[in-house]
Amino acid sequence: MNKDLLNILSNSSKEIDNQQLMDYLAGKLSEDEKHRVEMQLADNDFMNDALEGLENVKDKKDINFFVEQLNRDLHKKLQQKKNRKQKRKLLQQRWVYAAVIIILALIIATWLMIVKYQALKTK
Amino acid sequence: MNTDRYQHISDSALLEKFSADKDNQWLGILLQRYTMLLLGVCMKYLKNEDDAKDSVQQVFLKAIAELHKYKVEYFKSWIYMVAKNHCLMKLRDRQGKRPAVLNEQTMAVEDEPLSAAAHLDKDKMLDAMSLAIEELNNEQKQCVTLFYLDKKSYTQIAETTGYSMMQVKSYIQNGKRNLKIVVERIIKKQ
Repeated sequence: MNKDLLNILSNSSKEIDNQQLMDYLAGKLSEDEKHRVEMQLADNDFMNDALEGLENVKDKKDINFFVEQLNRDLHKKLQQKKNRKQKRKLLQQRWVYAAVIIILALIIATWLMIVKYQALKTK
Repeated sequence: MNTDRYQHISDSALLEKFSADKDNQWLGILLQRYTMLLLGVCMKYLKNEDDAKDSVQQVFLKAIAELHKYKVEYFKSWIYMVAKNHCLMKLRDRQGKRPAVLNEQTMAVEDEPLSAAAHLDKDKMLDAMSLAIEELNNEQKQCVTLFYLDKKSYTQIAETTGYSMMQVKSYIQNGKRNLKIVVERIIKKQ
């Protein structure tokens, strides 16, 4: 009896990387390698849907370009968010410093007034 | 940004790092791993390159917002579900129809391995599989055998059988699904 029968229902745990996927789409893989990728496809709906979609891209060379563009935009957006967060933090810090300076100034002013008042009193 | 140096870090470890310091850069590294797959999924449903690119960006934004709100355990299935739902909503807007929205539970069921087979020994499992494979229709049986047992690629199977690549793919996937159902039934009977 063929032991490979058991492989049918055991989900494959290996991952396909982007390069393998691109090579598969470009028809650069050997029959063995193709079969290995297809074993993953049969187990993985995400990968399967993705491959069907990528096959619809007219010029396959565009895929890498689109991916790079999307990744650049993603990092730009995340950087913007980070900058906004830092700005907000800085602004909050400025308010804290201002408050500390005002309180210190008030304490010094009060102390000076008390000293002056006591000097007048002793005269 | 060079993310190669983070390759050894798993998805869940990246999520852990994010939940520890709330630094979005971890999400950037994580999402970037799936850009190509997400683009493919969006292309499959929307069939338009500009719409697909636009949708991937929106899926990114949605994922970032959601990940700030709650913890996700199975990131890969979760992001697939987010993308699929986004596309289905977009299609609904286009066609004015309401699609069935997926949730994490329905996705998890699809990925579940054969539950009844967990405690069964190999010989019994092989017997069940041999019986089950005979119950498939001819097309599915032929494609499943060529694919899993003879280790042929889709192209080779298409050439041998005369079916189209799409047919081969669907016979294999439906055949596998049916096998699972039949095997479960046989095991329960035993």
